[in-house]
Amino acid sequence: MRKGARSDGRLRLTIIAGFLGAGKSTWLRHQLHENTFGSVHVFVNEAAEMPVDNLLLGKADRISVLAGGCACCEGRATLVEALRNTCQEQDGADAQPIDRILLETSGLADPGAITKALSEDPILARRLVLDETIVLVDALHGLAQLNEERLGRRQVEAADRLIITKPGSVAASQLARMASTLRQLNPMALVESAERGTSFALQTVPDAEPYPLADIADDAMPIKPCRLDISGEYGWAAFSVWLSALLAARGEQIMRVKGVVTTADGRLLLQSVRKQVQPPEMLPEMDADSSVQGPRDNIIIFIGRGIDDALLTSAWARFTQDNPGQMRR
Amino acid sequence: MCSACGFPSLPGHWTDAGARSPGSRLRLRFTRLTMINRLLAPYRLRAHDDGSTPGLQLMAPDGERVLVPDLEALWVQAERLAGTPIDPLSPRFLGDA
Repeated sequence: MRKGARSDGRLRLTIIAGFLGAGKSTWLRHQLHENTFGSVHVFVNEAAEMPVDNLLLGKADRISVLAGGCACCEGRATLVEALRNTCQEQDGADAQPIDRILLETSGLADPGAITKALSEDPILARRLVLDETIVLVDALHGLAQLNEERLGRRQVEAADRLIITKPGSVAASQLARMASTLRQLNPMALVESAERGTSFALQTVPDAEPYPLADIADDAMPIKPCRLDISGEYGWAAFSVWLSALLAARGEQIMRVKGVVTTADGRLLLQSVRKQVQPPEMLPEMDADSSVQGPRDNIIIFIGRGIDDALLTSAWARFTQDNPGQMRR
Repeated sequence: MCSACGFPSLPGHWTDAGARSPGSRLRLRFTRLTMINRLLAPYRLRAHDDGSTPGLQLMAPDGERVLVPDLEALWVQAERLAGTPIDPLSPRFLGDA
């Protein structure tokens, strides 16, 4: 088997998103030059009919352009078709194996909608595994976008890693406040910064105030992170039932759920974007002297509107209060 | 995908994760069923799982039965039968109603 390939036969997919002009292609070009992602097939999606971004990315081994439709809405079928073809090519005897697929979305795409489309396709659900969603935010214009565009916020909420681009265009204090704003919108994402693709160290400013964000139309309630401790006698079986019902009823309100749950067979990494829950991955057992700092097991983070710690805790307590003694892990 | 053996297989529904051995899978199914019925009871619905047939049966008080493949489909069908979403945060569950 090729080094780095997954034993389950799935190809890794990384989504690179960000608002129009956030610097996605510039960042990606540098990563391709540095060979950060190994051997890749790059897909560039542009909402416009006339592709430009592929010209910036001459360094890629393989590059395909999906022009004339945003991949999260009218261009979805084209994207699914193109990805299916790539998967099929990889199955061929004379295939040039690749390490992963990189998808640079158009600036108008909601990465959550793309993830949903891919997981609903019967072939791609078997062949691809979403590795990471990277969202780029412009240090200079990002604030206006977050204030005015609902899409800008949806992109930030869907990210696993947020990269603030063009940090040199603003003062250090503004950059720190921007990072703080992003952390408030999506506390689970890693926040980094890069100048034309080169990593840029973010100064730690402990008291950097997040920018106050205006309410957008019907987003009357603020998005906030909440925690729920499920480390009682009721385990994953009960929590998965409760969470699936909660997401079915309130998926539009709960943007993200993330946490590590211990089960009889090991530790599970759970994460969702709106109603879409990714197939949970089994994690290795915790090493007692591990230096990797992660979230504590069985503490689940919810990010959404109209929920708070007290509401979640009391609802969970109600659900698990009857018949103690049964349903142990 | 190989059309003879189906590899790579479709990942199961996310709620099926965490049970690798046949024994823990069965235990998960039955434990889950009890918890599902806790959520369905206030809506006068009931789910049944015989442990061997894939999926679950959802039963309404008027005798209607629906077979659902996973929990995602279960909540959609339950909402249809109950006429309202099965919401664990609703006052009905929090004991305020």
